[in-house]
Amino acid sequence: MADGITTTKVTPEMAAIVGVVMRESVSHPVTVSDIRKWAIAVYYPDNPPRLFWDEAYAGTTSHGGVVAPEEFNPFAWATQEPSMTDPKVAQTAFSEDELGVEPPEYTAMLLTEIRESHGPTRIRPGDVVRSTVRISDYFEREGRMGHMLYATLANEWRNQDDAWIRTTESVFARY
Amino acid sequence: MSTTIEVAVGDELPLFTREGTVEHWNRFAAVNDEFAAHHWDQEVAKEEGFPAPFAMAPLQLAFFHAMLRDWMGDDGRIVSVSAKLKGPFFKGNTLTALARVTAIDAVDEETHVDLELSQTDETDRAIAIGTARVALTAN
Repeated sequence: MADGITTTKVTPEMAAIVGVVMRESVSHPVTVSDIRKWAIAVYYPDNPPRLFWDEAYAGTTSHGGVVAPEEFNPFAWATQEPSMTDPKVAQTAFSEDELGVEPPEYTAMLLTEIRESHGPTRIRPGDVVRSTVRISDYFEREGRMGHMLYATLANEWRNQDDAWIRTTESVFARY
Repeated sequence: MSTTIEVAVGDELPLFTREGTVEHWNRFAAVNDEFAAHHWDQEVAKEEGFPAPFAMAPLQLAFFHAMLRDWMGDDGRIVSVSAKLKGPFFKGNTLTALARVTAIDAVDEETHVDLELSQTDETDRAIAIGTARVALTAN
């Protein structure tokens, strides 16, 4: 607890799942077309850098071929695991009940901060990316909307060679 | 250590601007499978207490990436980017992203550059603030 908070909404059961794997996903193999469309969408109405769409040009760069923009999401639409027939899990929210723990009561959840760390390994066509999601911490403070419970969701991505690609920490506030 | 890019503490990167349009956000929705109605439906946005539809947070973060890449070129490497979301980027607004160099360090064979980041609309309303570290290849 911190910042004027005298009671906590973090139950012992919630504290016990910090660091525990909440979700794992495996992407389909990434294609040049996936990367090209992503870059076009981000850079619209400008053309994206040739590194992301021109295979001949990309082959002349230090990357040796097309790579994905660092923020590229290979998990959109469908994944190998979970498959399309498995129950849907929201990618932009979370709940402790995914690990069988009763979540705290709240009226709203907001994404307040995103922190990304990137390794030197870029996503390339053919890559299969594994995502592992954990709650990495809870913290609380008194805010404009009252007692704010923050949870950080850490999402680590590795490729088929187990090379670290990136970790994204998303901080959600509930009140 | 010198790099292929001249850089000094206090330098500002070229501004990155984008108009808030559903034409753009629909394209991003299509690649990120992100179709929450408050990003395109005026009535839903109003019901949720917003004056207009607003952009997706991952797209806002992507604007920081794009700004950094536009400056670094193909050989630059993004080490980290963080953003605190201060307010929505509404339809019809113009987003301007700014980056200022705060530190430069030699790390192994790379030059690491720290930057402070911001996104504002045309009224100077804060949309996001953040920090980044990029790695430039030494000459």
